[in-house]
Amino acid sequence: MTTTSTTATASGGGARVRVQRFGTFLSGMIMPNIAAFIAWGIITALFIPQGWVGFDGPVEAWQWAGSPILGGGDFDGTTYTGLVGPIINYLLPLLIAFTGGRMVHGHRGGVVGAVAAFGVIIGAEGTVMFLGAMIAGPLTALILKYVEKPWQGKIKPGFEMLVDNFSAGFVAFFASLAAFFWLAPVMKWLTDLLGGAVGWLVETGLIPLASIIVEPAKVLFLNNAINHGVFTPLGTEQSAQTGKSLLFLIEANPGPGLGLLMAITVFGVGAARATAPGAAIIQFLGGIHEVYFPYVLAKPVLILGLIAGGATGVLTNVIFQSGLVAPAAPGSIFAVLFQTAPGSHVGVILSVILAAAVTFVVCMPFLLASRRRDLAAEAAGGDKLAAAIAQTEANKGKKSEHLSNLAARTGAAADGAAPATTAVATAPIQNIVFACDAGMGSSAMGASVLRNKLKKAGIEDVTVTNAAIANLDGTADLVITQQQLTDRAKGMSPNSVHVSVDNFMNAPQYEEVVEMVKSQKEQTE
Amino acid sequence: MSVLEIGQVRIHAGSATQEEALQEATDILVAAGAVTPAYVDAMRQREETVSTFMGNGLAIPHGTNETKEAILASGLSVVRYDGGVDWAGEQATFVIGIAGRGDEHLEILSQIAILFSDEDDVAKLNAAQTPDEVFALLSAVNEA
Repeated sequence: MTTTSTTATASGGGARVRVQRFGTFLSGMIMPNIAAFIAWGIITALFIPQGWVGFDGPVEAWQWAGSPILGGGDFDGTTYTGLVGPIINYLLPLLIAFTGGRMVHGHRGGVVGAVAAFGVIIGAEGTVMFLGAMIAGPLTALILKYVEKPWQGKIKPGFEMLVDNFSAGFVAFFASLAAFFWLAPVMKWLTDLLGGAVGWLVETGLIPLASIIVEPAKVLFLNNAINHGVFTPLGTEQSAQTGKSLLFLIEANPGPGLGLLMAITVFGVGAARATAPGAAIIQFLGGIHEVYFPYVLAKPVLILGLIAGGATGVLTNVIFQSGLVAPAAPGSIFAVLFQTAPGSHVGVILSVILAAAVTFVVCMPFLLASRRRDLAAEAAGGDKLAAAIAQTEANKGKKSEHLSNLAARTGAAADGAAPATTAVATAPIQNIVFACDAGMGSSAMGASVLRNKLKKAGIEDVTVTNAAIANLDGTADLVITQQQLTDRAKGMSPNSVHVSVDNFMNAPQYEEVVEMVKSQKEQTE
Repeated sequence: MSVLEIGQVRIHAGSATQEEALQEATDILVAAGAVTPAYVDAMRQREETVSTFMGNGLAIPHGTNETKEAILASGLSVVRYDGGVDWAGEQATFVIGIAGRGDEHLEILSQIAILFSDEDDVAKLNAAQTPDEVFALLSAVNEA
């Protein structure tokens, strides 16, 4: 723990810590589901009508008349639902809502969150409801948490399941109705508002400013509403008169997304960094922009980079008077080049390159700054049970940083934090994972030492393993890391109890963990 | 070839800088055919993010998750610096370089961990006069 990092956080004030914690929460809700977005992106890039093997695809030889079977639509007299629509409309928002709910109140929180999210999904039909799901999921879980507080721990043994299921069932029921009637209209209103604002910018000629609205709206998955609702009709009109329109490129320019994903690939941390290159391929070549939205939702400040990049792209096309003949769908670099109006290639290609470059450059400082801030916050949080400290800090605000520093220092000598440890472990600890960057050295040593200590204490039914942080799968009950890495570990395994240690060989925390497991065993026996 | 051979254990009377210690660990591992010379950069990179100082005078330099291609086979290097090495502000006596491929190094590593977590054993390791004695101490637990 260094003094510099402590002061850095302290001077930043409570607001920054809160924003940061909110960011971590968003990221925890989105990042575990990235794989689903990528899978959906591949399906979409292939099977929608304008997809690579779609019946209206860009390459004639690849066109497949039966693509609606998977992409959705009519084929051979039958109407197919396909995979594309249901996944984006239902599966992805529900996964997010479930994950958000689970982070707040365990698996049951996830379940009620998913039910409530369905209310807003159906209530706002026609609009992809990620934002609604991100609100409804965790909020409903929070409601459940408070609703059942009065009788928690007071149920007669044998009736817990019954009471738990019915209380959650009723909360989910009411929340889904509330989401349907109250949340959905608000979300729909927001969509209309954004569409209207963009229309106004087009009319008044302040078009590069449109990016200020378009980029955030895209990330909230309102991209199709805006592109097809506003730009496609206006652009088609323009194109019919002048042979081209730059409106087609405002939303579909793949540059900003590419710049963002490249920036994350280079400067990001953890899971985001590891998955960004793959997402970039799907986004830039496949034309499915949705795959980069989660990264922004997880770190909203990056929207500034997208706005700057988007506006740069639009401005480039204004200067070069370049545009597309028809909408580029999907928004892949190939589709864009395919639709570029004769003589517009220089401007269009430049608009993509400059947009990517500007986004990359603007995102860079934010990524670097927050990277340092994450580490600083972690260092200031002390080396005690990270979960406990986070809780205390949340309760007490900024002051507790000093308290926890103090506690960490005294606790390392005396065994002061043992009561706190026991309090934190609400779920039985059966599966302990030591994590480090590579999963090769430090974590293996730590795991051996703790395994040995548990064995000496006569505890045999607890597994202790080691892993690379990037390979944490979220199933560990307890995750132990060096304190600088705890933040990353939390991101990968948000539902585990996290312990930070300074000294892998004989950390005082080991005794606490052994005590905790022991007392938990005694309770159950 | 086993993960740790007698030739991979050394004792130095003086002290060294962390940089020298990383280089020596890499040299030993290169000689053992465990890593490419580029591994020293991987080690440096890892120390920049998080120190590999483990406590009880032990540092275990190794690469990062992203630099695993520099590893050809699993191997360990063990060097005792009686003058100590300044390891990011901590005093390291034993510098054990690790090249891990798969799981074959984990067993001995875990024995080393248990050995180093016991202060009596650490004292024995520090008192050992020759590399052979150190090697014997490390190997003895391996067989037990």
